[in-house]
Amino acid sequence: MPAKPISLGPMHFDKRGDAVAYLKAMLRRYDVGDRVSAGDAVILRAALEHHPNAIAKIGCGITHFSVRTADFGTKCFWVNRPDGTTEKFSITGSIHGS
Amino acid sequence: MSLADLHSWLLEEGIRDDLDAITRLTVRIELDNLMADPSVQSAAAIDWPRLILAGSILARSEQRTDQEAALRIATAAICLTDNQALKDAGAVLLGKLSNFRAIELATDRDLLAADLDGRLGVALRLETQRREMDRSILVQSSGIWLQVNDFQKRFWTNAAGERWLSASAPTASGKTFLVLQWLIDQVIAGEARVAVYLAPTRALVSEIETNLKALLGKPELIEVSSLPLPDKYKAARTGGARVILVFTQERLHLLANALGDALSIDLLIVDEAHKIGDNQRGVILQDAIERATRVNPKLKAVFISPATQNPEELLTDAPQGVQTIAVDSDSSTVLQNLIVATQAPRQSKLWNLTLRQQDSTLPVGTLQLASTPEGLKKRLAFIAAAVGERGGTLVYTNGAGEAEEVADLISQLLPKLESIDSELSQLAELARKGVHHDFRLAPLVERGVAFHYGNMPSLIRQEIERLFRLGKIRFLVCTSTLIEGVNLSCRTIVVRGPRKGKGHPMEPHDFWNLAGRAGRWGDEFQGNIICIDPENTKAWPSGVPSRARYPIKRESDAVLELGDGILDYLFKRGQSDLSSLEDSDKFEQVSAYLLTTFMRLGSISVASLAKRHDAVLITKLDQTLGALAAQIEIDVDLAARHPGVSAIGLQRLLEAFRAYAGDVENLLPAEVASNDSYDRFITIMGRINEHLFLAFAPVSRIRLYALIVYKWLKGFSLARIIRDSIEWHQKAGKSYSLPELIRGTMELVEQIARFKAPKYLSAYMDVLNLHLREIGREDLIDGELDIGTKLEFGVSSTTLLSLMELGLSRMSAVALYEKISRDDLSKEGCVAWITERVDQFQAMDIPAIIIREIRERLTLPSDLAT
Repeated sequence: MPAKPISLGPMHFDKRGDAVAYLKAMLRRYDVGDRVSAGDAVILRAALEHHPNAIAKIGCGITHFSVRTADFGTKCFWVNRPDGTTEKFSITGSIHGS
Repeated sequence: MSLADLHSWLLEEGIRDDLDAITRLTVRIELDNLMADPSVQSAAAIDWPRLILAGSILARSEQRTDQEAALRIATAAICLTDNQALKDAGAVLLGKLSNFRAIELATDRDLLAADLDGRLGVALRLETQRREMDRSILVQSSGIWLQVNDFQKRFWTNAAGERWLSASAPTASGKTFLVLQWLIDQVIAGEARVAVYLAPTRALVSEIETNLKALLGKPELIEVSSLPLPDKYKAARTGGARVILVFTQERLHLLANALGDALSIDLLIVDEAHKIGDNQRGVILQDAIERATRVNPKLKAVFISPATQNPEELLTDAPQGVQTIAVDSDSSTVLQNLIVATQAPRQSKLWNLTLRQQDSTLPVGTLQLASTPEGLKKRLAFIAAAVGERGGTLVYTNGAGEAEEVADLISQLLPKLESIDSELSQLAELARKGVHHDFRLAPLVERGVAFHYGNMPSLIRQEIERLFRLGKIRFLVCTSTLIEGVNLSCRTIVVRGPRKGKGHPMEPHDFWNLAGRAGRWGDEFQGNIICIDPENTKAWPSGVPSRARYPIKRESDAVLELGDGILDYLFKRGQSDLSSLEDSDKFEQVSAYLLTTFMRLGSISVASLAKRHDAVLITKLDQTLGALAAQIEIDVDLAARHPGVSAIGLQRLLEAFRAYAGDVENLLPAEVASNDSYDRFITIMGRINEHLFLAFAPVSRIRLYALIVYKWLKGFSLARIIRDSIEWHQKAGKSYSLPELIRGTMELVEQIARFKAPKYLSAYMDVLNLHLREIGREDLIDGELDIGTKLEFGVSSTTLLSLMELGLSRMSAVALYEKISRDDLSKEGCVAWITERVDQFQAMDIPAIIIREIRERLTLPSDLAT
């Protein structure tokens, strides 16, 4: 199967796996409780828009992204919405659509 | 024969037999469920006139044993005889011992007919009146003369003037009452505008605050507060109402920090001052005293401690030129009977009781138990239930869990009451609503039994103590919290193999600090200490301890006496890996103190402590500290704001901030209302552990610690935090024991959210603010309330803080806050909200004790009208 390229905002990746690796490296730079920087947020927003449940995940909008704890001692990205609600999403889920 | 020889002859031979007889009789009337004993001599056979004459001679002695014998004779004459002349003679003897409260008690109990003076001959009346005048003090602020005992008189006389004073006397000497009177007098009629009363625990702080307010009455002439907020202090300093601040040592530092170190105190009272020797917090107390003295070298300091060997030790650090005096007393105001209980051979329900005296023992009788006491907990419970059936009985256990179980066992032996006293019902209601519906305390309290331990919310604990004093709670099962600074006395204390902390057998002075609580002066004539299984070496590795007084030794001095240990620690403290640091429990606080002191003075050799230690050690310390200080850019003022937190740790944290590559805003705690708050605390605690000090250990529990801090700061009630935890366990399918979960949550709140987190997060914020100024990001510095203060009180909203500023306990404040929509109410706004709804509080399901506290603490317009 040929590699599927993907663009996330200003970033272009020849392979989806590269995008996942890029986002995972981004995640590692943050501690839990951190707010994601404006520059990284552009890319994350683009990634989330690829998510199969993008509409539900984005909901009423996005104020910013955070990094917080996830299950089993891991961490992941969370989307924060204007109504105060928040939801986590997975990097691979956004890029590979599952 | 000298007078002293006469005293010893009387005790050893002259009145020995009669004294033994009345001792046996007086002790027997104190104990319940004794079997009849035909061998006990009748009181009628005693030669009373001879005995009372001997008592009057012994009363002139300064020796404790002589005074005790005189007190025993006086008490026996009043309690055991039916003859008014003998009872009157007993009362006169009490007067000679300056024990006026015991005379009042005898009159109140109808043991002594009223108008004693009227029955005395002219000569005796004159002598009595002269003695009463000698033994009275004038309270300047009220113009009232108070009758006092010898210790109280000496305290009052010597407390005048500017000198520093250290007073030591056993429990039941009327220390606290008198010191509070004296303090009020100094602030109302004297020069002191700002007085600080330091007490070692939050429990004692709230107790003293309540007592001061009660003594002052309403309207309050002076402000009393236990919150480390600057407004009342500033008002007092600028001509407003004078203030008495009641603080723990940590709160004193918090206020000094809030005032930029300009906290100038006129009068400093240090209660339970022997706790300057406590591991980890002793040096924080020492630092607080020194800090206050640096700002105002003319400050007057008064130290109070229970029976200590060397109260003068506390005066050695008085500023040069300040005079000092120690007031020491070892005399007892109440008879204390030390009784050992040993099982009768092959009869598990029968226990032989023996009185232990200085050089002899005296069989008292046989105690009969209702059931066979299988196992140690039952033994303790059943003996306590039998011997102390009439109440005022304190049972000592070695931990919170054991306290709950023993209380439960005792309650089962008591008859179920036909009707439950309304105050007991209210306490049960508070336990159910304020902690958990199935909190074990509630059903026990309804039977007049309670348990008591350190991490309980103060409102509940204080109510338990109050109802125990009133006699409504008849049995109180306690833990070592009681010797850590709670003013509570009892009629009888029952104990088996007491430990202090986790498993260390009690030192004799700790045991006697506990045992000394038996005997309520003015409420009882005698106190009883029942020690079970005295011959059992597991329970009592060195036997039941003989009477001992507490040796005062500063924590800092104790650590320095270990010599090289502190040098090694300081050397390793400078290295970067904190996880391998050993013995930090013992050394961290003192090493932080030494480093800050070195930074201030340039050498430890000029510090006051140098005179107490080997010059070689001091030189080595100077070298080690000098090497550390050379690496530190943090200035000494910042380091001094955080006693017990090492300046080298602060420096390492600053370096970590400088090296931080991410967005600097992520270094700040997130607003508690935000979704990031909990996770941000996890990261901050991790950062503190890595760079500052391994404060949040074990590391695997950091998430739990962060969660507690987050919920506490958010203003959640204890009941809600407990409920959440239960839900989490149920959802995750994890088993739990409810009593353990409740105790565990209380402990997390007290030890993490209210103790460690404020200490280390407050230091974290100070260093971060320094970094923010360095990088020109002052815009991120928040000028509001310090995080340490927010955490100590568990508040993040203005409304909640206002409620606590009004004097409410956190439990009451949170109960109201759960009903108040707005989070920005001022004190006036809160009063208005309460005034409008106070009549509906009961219908709003607010516990009665909370409603009572609100009414007591707030002067509501509706209360004024009625």
